[in-house]
Amino acid sequence: MEIATLAKETLSTPTQVYQVYIRATPERVWQAITDPEFTTRYFHGSRVELKLVAGSEYRGYSPDRSEVWVDGEVLEVDPPKRLVHSWHSRYDAETADEEPSRVTWEIEDLGDGMSLLTVVHDQLEGAPKTAQSVSGRGWMYVLSGLKTLLETGEPLPAFSE
Amino acid sequence: MGDDAVFRALADPSRRHLLDQLFERDGRTLVELTEDLEMTRFGVMKHLQVLEDAGLVVSRKEGRRKLHYLNPVPIQQIHDRWIDKYRARHASALAELKQDLEGG
Repeated sequence: MEIATLAKETLSTPTQVYQVYIRATPERVWQAITDPEFTTRYFHGSRVELKLVAGSEYRGYSPDRSEVWVDGEVLEVDPPKRLVHSWHSRYDAETADEEPSRVTWEIEDLGDGMSLLTVVHDQLEGAPKTAQSVSGRGWMYVLSGLKTLLETGEPLPAFSE
Repeated sequence: MGDDAVFRALADPSRRHLLDQLFERDGRTLVELTEDLEMTRFGVMKHLQVLEDAGLVVSRKEGRRKLHYLNPVPIQQIHDRWIDKYRARHASALAELKQDLEGG
């Protein structure tokens, strides 16, 4: 298989794992994940709003906050190391009918201002359309954007399929 | 973590085969990965370690099992850095040629 093909078409399995090294402290990575002023700059423009309390709501709004793109519940909070929340894609009718899945953010402190960010999107058995829509380029674009934003202060250019 | 480690990891047919296997079905144990390869478990373990060191494979504990997942991020980064760039130049050279021919 060619490398380019491998990068483009990742199979949609019930568990997806993405890992990226970021030249930023865990605290800065944590802020980028939990602060809507940051998420609008790399998460397809989405304002992610959540309280750092297990059991509270997780919401990913459209940039003007008129629509909910993703909703869920905060399941685990351990700043600046671990955030777990459920994920229910509301951005189209097909994914809105699916079961919620789960997203886990893990930040490992590598010292010298370096972090290793691992995103695990699992429990996707009841959400095949969501699995397909976030797989491969979906999460990779978000994570590349997060890395670029933290390392350069600038967002990635807008993404079009 | 750097490009060198990724290219080194990819420069071996057994390791590319392991990646292809994970691409087909992600989240496999060492035993499952060994079944498809004519190689000892120790050999597969060594190759998986090289892939993990390059960031191409991420292993996670699930209960008592250790599952291996394909991490597509480093390959995407190689793609952006080494493939898109040259393709862009190729495309712009063609555009210039077209301009020259049509304008001339």
